[in-house]
Amino acid sequence: MYRPGTADANDAEFAEALALVRQDSALRDWFEAHCAVQQALRARFKEIVVPEGLKEQIISERRSWTLRQRWKRPVTLVAVAAVIALFIAVAALWLQPGAVSEDKANLATFRSRMISTVRRQYTMTLETNDLNQIRTHLAQNDSPADYVLTKMLDKTPVTGCGVLGWQGKPVSMVCFHSGKPLPPGEKTDIFLFVVDRNTLSDAPSDLAPQIAYVNKLVTASWTQGQRVYVLATEGDEALIRQYLN
Amino acid sequence: MAPGLDFEGIVTRYYESLYQFAYSLTRTEADACDLTQETFYVWATKGHQLRDVTKVKTWLFTTLHRQFLESRRRQTRFPHHELEAVDYELPVISPQTASGLDAAQVLRALAQVDEVFQAPVALFYLEDCAYKDIAEILGVPMGTVKSRIARGIGQLQKILAEDISAADQTKN
Repeated sequence: MYRPGTADANDAEFAEALALVRQDSALRDWFEAHCAVQQALRARFKEIVVPEGLKEQIISERRSWTLRQRWKRPVTLVAVAAVIALFIAVAALWLQPGAVSEDKANLATFRSRMISTVRRQYTMTLETNDLNQIRTHLAQNDSPADYVLTKMLDKTPVTGCGVLGWQGKPVSMVCFHSGKPLPPGEKTDIFLFVVDRNTLSDAPSDLAPQIAYVNKLVTASWTQGQRVYVLATEGDEALIRQYLN
Repeated sequence: MAPGLDFEGIVTRYYESLYQFAYSLTRTEADACDLTQETFYVWATKGHQLRDVTKVKTWLFTTLHRQFLESRRRQTRFPHHELEAVDYELPVISPQTASGLDAAQVLRALAQVDEVFQAPVALFYLEDCAYKDIAEILGVPMGTVKSRIARGIGQLQKILAEDISAADQTKN
């Protein structure tokens, strides 16, 4: 099908047809109407509005993807030496007053990053229904393992865990299954993220959880001790509050 | 990574058109954003394997389409029309009618077209891809692409015509 205003005009396949159009007035009338319709429809597709900030979010998330990829690569002596040198340089930078990450180190960005991860593609570094194994695994990977579960979460079947990254610090991701039927291949529909409160400039109150909707999931965020918790699942505020008891 | 393939440059150049393609397939902003981000995630982790700079666009659209197929959940928000063979003789809708449509109407109509035709029709209108590029993105022979585009556009126009006719009858 011919597209006006595109490279189709120079396509040999259309050359003969276009020659006929020039010779036949009835065909030319049909062709002009056809082109007008195609141009109008094409313009409608081009009117799809791209959300503001999408480009910046993609570029900013790339840093966390790169961090996770590095953790998975096998190391050599040269790589180890490079990491040590980098750690020293970064530690020196952190000790300087006013040193900040390029990402906004706030709760909203953290929530958005975590939700994007589980909506996109995530890895459970350990799949198990044993909470003790999960704590041990997280502790072995220097990720927060001293989290306190609500009574309801403690009773909810756990499916595994993973270690993510945020502001250079590890984030524990504990995965649960609510018991609802899930699509084939999926095992988890409740996610709990636990991170050091010092990584956030605006850690939520420890008095009452903050409820927010992020990218089709409902989240609840709270602080307890030195840890910030973000709980996420599909549903509404009433549902997620059940897991806060 | 090959010269000319810096990540931020690739994102800047293609994120809008990728999002529009994703939106034409998913019809929701959140899903389209997810698909677009997923595609750049795959690019960030595997794009270094691509040596030919001229293939970046095709690579990205192929990846997005593949991600869409893998993550798709059948939804029955929009019933599919049973349509007869397409009439190629005259446009089903007039240029004036087509100009009066808005993007939402067109995308709603696209959602009712046979699923196998939706991606080729979206690529046909959104991108100035050559037919061979569309075939490569979708992983089907060129003849199949041309057939799907023609039939998909035929269905799209019939659905739009029926919607417009139904709207006119309601007004009267």
